[in-house]
Amino acid sequence: MPRLLKRIPSGWQICDVAETPWIAQDEWRAGGALQVGVDAEPLADWLEASSVAIEFPAMTDGRGLSLAVLMRNRLGYRGELVARGSIHQDIVHFLARCGFDAIELPNEEHLETALKWIDPHTGYYQPSVIRSESALTSAN
Amino acid sequence: MYQYNEFDRTFINQRVAHYRDQTERYLQGDLSEDEFLQLRLRNGLYVQRLAPMLRVAIPYGTLSSQQLRALASISNDFDRGYGHLSTRQNMQFNWPALEDVPDILQALADVDMHAIQTSGSCIRNVTTDQFAGAAADEEIDPRPYCELLRQWSTSHPEFEWLPRKFKIAVIGATFDRAAIGVHDIGIRVNGSSEQPENALVDIYAGGGLGRTPVLGALIRERLPVKHLLTYTEAIMRVYNRYGRRDNKYKARIKILVRALTIEKFKAKVDEEWAAINHEQGAVPAAELSRLSAFFAPPSFAELDNAGELLGTQRLENPAFNRWMKHNVHPHRVSGYSVVTLSTKVTGMPPGDVSSDQMDAVASWADCYGFGEIRISHEQNFVLPHIPQDKLYALWQQADAIGLGHFNAGLISDIICCPGGDYCSLANAKSLPVAEAIQRRFADYDYQYDLGSLDLNISGCMNACGHHHVGHIGILGVDKKGQEFYQISLGGHAGHSGEAPRLGQIIGPSVAREEVCDVIEKVIKVYLGLRFEGETFLSCFNRIGILPFKESIYAKAA
Ligand code: HEM
Ligand code: SF4
Repeated sequence: MPRLLKRIPSGWQICDVAETPWIAQDEWRAGGALQVGVDAEPLADWLEASSVAIEFPAMTDGRGLSLAVLMRNRLGYRGELVARGSIHQDIVHFLARCGFDAIELPNEEHLETALKWIDPHTGYYQPSVIRSESALTSAN
Repeated sequence: MYQYNEFDRTFINQRVAHYRDQTERYLQGDLSEDEFLQLRLRNGLYVQRLAPMLRVAIPYGTLSSQQLRALASISNDFDRGYGHLSTRQNMQFNWPALEDVPDILQALADVDMHAIQTSGSCIRNVTTDQFAGAAADEEIDPRPYCELLRQWSTSHPEFEWLPRKFKIAVIGATFDRAAIGVHDIGIRVNGSSEQPENALVDIYAGGGLGRTPVLGALIRERLPVKHLLTYTEAIMRVYNRYGRRDNKYKARIKILVRALTIEKFKAKVDEEWAAINHEQGAVPAAELSRLSAFFAPPSFAELDNAGELLGTQRLENPAFNRWMKHNVHPHRVSGYSVVTLSTKVTGMPPGDVSSDQMDAVASWADCYGFGEIRISHEQNFVLPHIPQDKLYALWQQADAIGLGHFNAGLISDIICCPGGDYCSLANAKSLPVAEAIQRRFADYDYQYDLGSLDLNISGCMNACGHHHVGHIGILGVDKKGQEFYQISLGGHAGHSGEAPRLGQIIGPSVAREEVCDVIEKVIKVYLGLRFEGETFLSCFNRIGILPFKESIYAKAA
């Protein structure tokens, strides 16, 4: 059973989950689990997916972060959003703040480290998909 | 200047903790070289030819005397007793040990400093006018907006993994000392510091040097400043999504802008901005006033200009007179001046400063200048607020330790990258060329006669030495394994108040031994053809490149 990081109401935890039958964009139909590339253009149809995964081709490829933000803020997608592919354990906090709520690592050994650094700061400078308050908007 | 609060302190301490953990895991073998590379770059650690290099962020080139003293101690405790002022207003240490970097970062955090995002494909330290808040030609102080951008871009969740590095510069004065035209985003702020929330900003995008030098284009005029962050967000998002990632030489935003055309790029940004809820994301006026309050003028005394006293002192001491002429600039408040302390002493790499010099600059700042220090992109120190009757005392002390050189803005005030002596990407050495030119033109009367002249040197196409925007630019090139130098003329960064311009190459590159002769020929052409009082740049604008070409290549051809 694959293990991954999942957001739960009280924070994040490592979970065992059943294998998801991801379907690529050209074969996907409403109701299925959709996997898209970081270069996809978000479509309203995706709101019908049972879950959406964005596949990162490299640790350094930030396109998936913008795509996640667009899905959450622009498309209004509220379902499960999974990060897959070349995800590095030290950058999971960026993913979390861009609205991913499940993160798969290429190597499950690093899940503990990822969990440790999922939220390295008690506060951030800018608002994000998951937190509207920030140092900048609160005029502290 | 900006003062950290508990939030800022907690933030950078937590960042140090994360980086310490990363370093430990790397040293234990739990992080690969490539993985750690990406993490250390974003914490300022670069590995170059001889050793690691740590680039410390000096936000928009402003630091306090206490911070400069801390940098001096760091250079003693962890390095070889010196640091290097960079063309992006930062300080670099050239010899730190990788294992020590978490401790160095902690020492920085203890004085409210960091090295976050000084390297890597992310939004870098924001730069501005080194005379901000002091310059006589300033319309509005750019620093509050720089600080706003610094905070907003720090660990931004969406924009930390861009196709390539991203540089933002901000200016609020008539003369563009920040070279906004050669930045990924250049921002001109219009308005008055009394009403910081009502400022209007002009936004340029797509500029950059490197192997494909491009000047930024104006994409938004007079945008209310409360929208600065959302508009920047729109630009960043378009770039993050559509910038090329397949070839690092084609990954800067300038290449995207060019591929799309400026009109289409602007349309895409505007479309994105329209889709962002920019009223909700507007920066609250209270936040802008809060940030601006940090940059309120220090408590200047009511002083008269000290013309008479200075006149006497200048007559008595010709060296002081020269320094006054070139290194002392008009201040907005009567009785005060802005001072440039030049690091360009022949035989020393431009920008290198010892820990003793750092300590001394810090103490002069305390004694004479409200404890404030700036770093200029010309790689010099600036003391922004010096009472005129203290100039002579300051100069005497500076001169005693090699910081009283008179050459700000003259041919020997060379901007130069580390080049082949230190940098693994170099095609050619640059430091020995700088030194040879400084020796050739050492004579003061000659330099003075030449007047203001920017000479910039880069050891390769990456253009760290800004050769494209030197009035005279020198670029190291590789010709069949030999070090050669390509010379260009007529570039400028926009300091004169005109739009910046890239230099034109004069002809085939030349060997190292010939560089000084060629520069001398260039200078002779200028001296022969200039009108009275005409600067090198104005003369070039009038006569063009041909007379220079003819003089240099006529006989050889
Ligand atoms: C010795 C180690 C160094 C290496 C390996 C290095 C490498 C590079 C590279 C690869 C670029 C090109 C970036 C691009 O095309 O996007 C670049 C640009 C630049 N570097 Fe360096 N650099 C070094 C040191 C320095 C130093 C010491 C300074 C400051 C004095 C500096 C200032 C700059 C600046 C201002 C640019 C920007 C040019 C632009 O706008 O494209 N670099 N550097
Ligand atoms: S211009 Fe080239 S040689 Fe000089 S520091 Fe930059 S990369 Fe190195």
